[in-house]
Amino acid sequence: MSVATREPFPVPRGLAIALAAAGPVAAGGILAVRAHDASPMLAAPVIVFGVVAATGPALYIASAAIGHAPPLAAVVRAFGVALGAFGVALAGLLLPAAFIAASSVTAGTTIAAASGAIAIAGYLGLRRLATELRPAGEIAGTAALASSVVFLVWAAATVAIAGRLWWDLAVEVVS
Amino acid sequence: MISALEGAPRPALGMIDLLLRDREAMLARIRKGNDVAAIMRTMIATIAVCMAIVGAALGSYRGGVQIAYAAIKLPIVLLGTAALSAPALSAIGAALGRRSRLSADLALVMAALAFGALLLAACTPLIMVGRALELDYHRMILSTVAMFAVAGLAALRMVLRAVALEAAPGWRTAVAGLCVVFSLVGGQLSWALRPYLVRPRTPEAPFLREVEGSLFDAVTGALRSARGIYTRDEAPLGER
Repeated sequence: MSVATREPFPVPRGLAIALAAAGPVAAGGILAVRAHDASPMLAAPVIVFGVVAATGPALYIASAAIGHAPPLAAVVRAFGVALGAFGVALAGLLLPAAFIAASSVTAGTTIAAASGAIAIAGYLGLRRLATELRPAGEIAGTAALASSVVFLVWAAATVAIAGRLWWDLAVEVVS
Repeated sequence: MISALEGAPRPALGMIDLLLRDREAMLARIRKGNDVAAIMRTMIATIAVCMAIVGAALGSYRGGVQIAYAAIKLPIVLLGTAALSAPALSAIGAALGRRSRLSADLALVMAALAFGALLLAACTPLIMVGRALELDYHRMILSTVAMFAVAGLAALRMVLRAVALEAAPGWRTAVAGLCVVFSLVGGQLSWALRPYLVRPRTPEAPFLREVEGSLFDAVTGALRSARGIYTRDEAPLGER
């Protein structure tokens, strides 16, 4: 099964990955400024990359088990593009989030602003991953359904793990 | 002399005329990337002048120094919100594979907001009529909200039209993301810089109110109060 890149990536891949690395640091920085504690700047990227590294293989294994996994190299490339998309999206959302957090007086708004930026960027990254992993040609209805179910279950589990870790971090540090 | 007066309009005025008469042509200029810097300059100046006029008209409801305060603050709100929000359109679009150009997207957002600001400036006589008829404060607020809603929808329609023409992947999500970010940032910035419309009997008009939380905090507090959950024993009394 081949994987086709339907849309070209509009920024250099290296820059996008750099943004994916720097973005969570900045999102953690929003919490850090409120809490006067730098630990979220380290913890946020660890959560993003750690959870993706921990759950990514499961997606490949499950897709391969149902017989519709793209080649390993294509999956790795798709994850790279998705992480880049996450970074690019986060770069555009951090400024508004930082403004909203800085101009409010409550911890709840800070958590909501930083979490909102990460959540929207995460959703866009997952959406891009789904696009990148979609096979180029037509596949049978049952196979397409199985692939979609596997991806949705994997995405739900990944979001739940990362969301829980992020929430615990934010509440502990800011509250 | 006469021929000099009847000559071609100055480029900036011509651009504003194009924005009002032929928005498709304006969008095509932005899409091609011709004169993006000149478009940006003209649109920023248009927003600043129009919103200052609208602010002055709103400030005239109380009169005095409030005319100057509102005329200064409204352009800051709109330009600040645009500067903070426009990158979201490029970033979300780029994440989904749209060929985004930050400068063109910024010019598009500024052009759309300039169009909305021109519509608002055209509504200024209505604000003055409200003042002349001594419309009560709450009706004045509702009228202002209605005018801003019409202008906002017109600006949104222009952005939608421009991005839809590209037919790029994820364009709907990019515009929806811009709307969400613009609403949140605009709501917060306008909340932080309030008041604009002040009751005529107000003895002293403040330039800014005291920082008392975000718009989100105020909405949350109002919802809690509506359910009978109060965080203080009684409402503060005004100084006499």
